[in-house]
Amino acid sequence: MRCSVCGREAVIKLRHAGLRLCPEHLVARVEKEVASAIRRFRMFSPEERILVAISGGKDSLALWHILAELGYRVDGLYIDLGIAGYSAPSREASEDFARARGLTLHVVSLAAELGASLDELTRLARGKTCSLCGTVKRYLMNKLAWEGEYQALATGHNLDDEAATLLGNVLRWDEGYLARQYPVLPGEGKLVRKVKPMVFLSEREMAAYCLIRGIEYLYQDCPHAEGARSIALKDVLNRLEDRYPSTKISFLRQFLKVRDRFRPPAPVVLHDCPSCGMPTAAEGPCRFCRLKDTVARHASRVTEDRGAAA
Amino acid sequence: MVILKRKGEAYTVPAGKTLEQALRELGILPETVLAVRDGRILPLSHRLEEGEELELVDVISGG
Ligand SMILES: [Zn+2]
Ligand SMILES: [Zn+2]
Repeated sequence: MRCSVCGREAVIKLRHAGLRLCPEHLVARVEKEVASAIRRFRMFSPEERILVAISGGKDSLALWHILAELGYRVDGLYIDLGIAGYSAPSREASEDFARARGLTLHVVSLAAELGASLDELTRLARGKTCSLCGTVKRYLMNKLAWEGEYQALATGHNLDDEAATLLGNVLRWDEGYLARQYPVLPGEGKLVRKVKPMVFLSEREMAAYCLIRGIEYLYQDCPHAEGARSIALKDVLNRLEDRYPSTKISFLRQFLKVRDRFRPPAPVVLHDCPSCGMPTAAEGPCRFCRLKDTVARHASRVTEDRGAAA
Repeated sequence: MVILKRKGEAYTVPAGKTLEQALRELGILPETVLAVRDGRILPLSHRLEEGEELELVDVISGG
């Protein structure tokens, strides 16, 4: 198998792109696709400061590497959620990556910000782990990007992630989510702009990119992801892709062409949370502050109980 | 025989097949893995050689 670009030995065939590529040209393609998505969707300019959400997995580390390589002003943010058996190695992979390349990584821990790790929060608050995790991560990422004066918050969502999310939204005909699913979400007030520069690159290409570039990422998945709906959706799409190449990319590209037909049910008016000052859709304390309250109330009850026992 | 290692498990397949044929016979979608030998990616068209040992890297992550 020969590389479509240079004719040397190819290592990967991308049926959806009609390409067979050698390591060098796979790397070139990935970086070019990221650069062109940034331009096409006007994600950010070279003067702006970008914060990349880092998980220690292949996609976020690859994105950080590529943005730095392209010359953008980019720092990383790692949120230590305190998930037993997972957070420690993922944090270490992120810190090692940053140290080896002389990049700045901000590390915050959920336990310090909220008063409880995700594992503890799941026991105290109502709601599923992954939904609680989404809430606290979105809140902290936005808050730290805002306070750190970053103009955009970038995440490593790839084609497989986006196509799976899209399928999930379509199966529920969730108009609000469909209206908001886009590679760039403009900022508003204290809500920082959100960008996803890798949405046209498949998960397989990103793994190949990391292997070729020598990016040492954490192979392990979050233990809570096991059995998650997103994995079932990805599996369905990959089965279709196997029989009908380009299923995922055309699903996403065609959607982006018709997306403006979907309207959010009602325009959202943002209020400032009276407690932390960050934006929230409803009046009163934001969801993060309410969770923080739940944690604090539980902690004081535990202290009282201990006092009574003594 | 050829050894394919995946997530700590080892599968043995006869030599002579292509990597893609071997994956399909094991019920693994080629789209979901990368085969690596000595740190290098092998194409799906790679013909498995006697005594070879490959690592299959899962590319699909959760979340
Ligand atoms: Zn080439
Ligand atoms: Zn708040």
